[in-house]
Amino acid sequence: MVRLVVLWCPSLAREGSRGEEPRRFTEVLDAATELAPFARPVRLGVLAIPSRGPSRFFGGEQAFAEQLAAIAGPLVGGGGRVLVGAAEGLFAAVLAARASVFVPAGSTPAFLAPWSISTLREPDLAAACQRLGLHTLGKFAALEEARVLERFGTDAVRRHRVARGLDGELPGLRDTAALRRLDALRHRDEPQGVQGGFFGERGAGDARAAAAAQRLERQLGVGAVTVARLGAGRAPDDRAALVPWGSAPASAAHRDHAAPWPGRLPAPSPAAIPSRALAVSLVAEDGTRVAVSSRGLLSAPPARVELDTGRPRSIVAHCGPWPMSERWWGTSRRRAHLQVLLDDGLALLLRAERSRWWLAGVYD
Amino acid sequence: MFASTPSRTATAAELATRIRPVAAASARLLPVAEPLAALLPDGALRRGSTVVVAGAPGRGATSLGLALLTAASTAGHWCAAVGLDDPGVVAMSELGVDLRRVVFVPRPRGAWAVATAELFEGVDVVLARPPARVAHAAARRLVARARDRGVVLLALVEHRDDWPVPADATLELTDSSWHTDGRLLERRAEVRTAGRGASGRPRRSSLLLPGPLGAVASAGG
Repeated sequence: MVRLVVLWCPSLAREGSRGEEPRRFTEVLDAATELAPFARPVRLGVLAIPSRGPSRFFGGEQAFAEQLAAIAGPLVGGGGRVLVGAAEGLFAAVLAARASVFVPAGSTPAFLAPWSISTLREPDLAAACQRLGLHTLGKFAALEEARVLERFGTDAVRRHRVARGLDGELPGLRDTAALRRLDALRHRDEPQGVQGGFFGERGAGDARAAAAAQRLERQLGVGAVTVARLGAGRAPDDRAALVPWGSAPASAAHRDHAAPWPGRLPAPSPAAIPSRALAVSLVAEDGTRVAVSSRGLLSAPPARVELDTGRPRSIVAHCGPWPMSERWWGTSRRRAHLQVLLDDGLALLLRAERSRWWLAGVYD
Repeated sequence: MFASTPSRTATAAELATRIRPVAAASARLLPVAEPLAALLPDGALRRGSTVVVAGAPGRGATSLGLALLTAASTAGHWCAAVGLDDPGVVAMSELGVDLRRVVFVPRPRGAWAVATAELFEGVDVVLARPPARVAHAAARRLVARARDRGVVLLALVEHRDDWPVPADATLELTDSSWHTDGRLLERRAEVRTAGRGASGRPRRSSLLLPGPLGAVASAGG
């Protein structure tokens, strides 16, 4: 297993409301890459570097770590502290950074032993082990592998190997979504294909637009400037997404948005989609709440709709519901959509989900 | 190329006369979808001009604003949408907007004028929805800057008085009604157009916004 030096910037680990943490972290990354070319982000605020090369170059792991902390400290800003640690394998190295420890070569299993079982990022396994009195990684690691397989299954065996210090990669340890975003931020000087012009060529207009978008993003914060991505799906909010400028291009499967998709809501689509869920109440003529049955039928024709504030408004026509039962094999999601036309000419798309009605769109 | 072989100079001269007006026009005017051409003074969006799109919420003003982007975006011009908190991206694609050419600043957080002005440097058309009635000075600055940069500013407001300075054209949705057969099919929208100068006389026209296939269509009459 590769010995790694991990740098942890706690103040950059979570994106705040101003959204400047990812950008600051890319600066830390760039600086670390200049010091050691194989510096790689693990997730927001955490980066890992193979120890061997830089340690030789800087005359020891400690010396290298001091250099790293010295250049990262000012970039983190706001008096944010940085933590450095080293151990064998990514899992142990991240914990070592958290504790600011340089684990001597070969004693990684001993270093891991006192840590809580919950560091394995598997709540079910942690709960089961706690019940058995196995509170630490060391106690879990002491189990025989065959027993672990028998009792907890193959996934737990993988974590068992991590607890024993035989493996350093744990599912979920690397935040892939954050990594993709950091990647996009770092390579923003050559934004990727999504915004390419005709035939993938980038003309002068494209470069000008890209420059303006970048300047604006610098002023307003990461994520303020977005582009649209259209995918497959049934409801308008499934099919469309606004993604930050410069994000990786959509996968090939997502590009084929014109392909027929059974159960898709018919055109026209609402021109305004609420970004937050907005509950509405839908009642029948006799004042009872309208529900959608498990067969996808309305309990009564809707007569009035009440948006979060304001008086109830009369419905002159409605169409639907279009029931959708998705992912019945896993986290099931049952929804139904309903178009309603109000007496003042306003047309709304409503969605029934979790036994409530929500505003899914306004035909503005 | 194989049909006839006129002399080389004649071909060049012929090409020059053919190309010149088209090139000049394309530099000055950005195309709009055919049903919307009748609403605009030049039958297109003139670079450097300001067009106000006004309509009460839910009347179709958003659709009209987005529909004005369709032909420009498909012709390769970059467009931006500022302050449209929740754009219906699927609806945009049904209207015929080329989404690869649109930059969104959905929530500029009080900096809509700054964002709009910044986008003037990079795109050809900016559709901006101010959060409230626009201050006179801010509007004047944006109009001047749009003219200076040769960008079309489309201001999306609830009432035409929310845009305090004269615009080159004002498209006001006065009435709209849905045609349904159970489900929503198309919306007939009445648009009152006014401009400045010779095109200043108010006119009324009808649009299908959206039409039966999601795109904008003229309703005749």
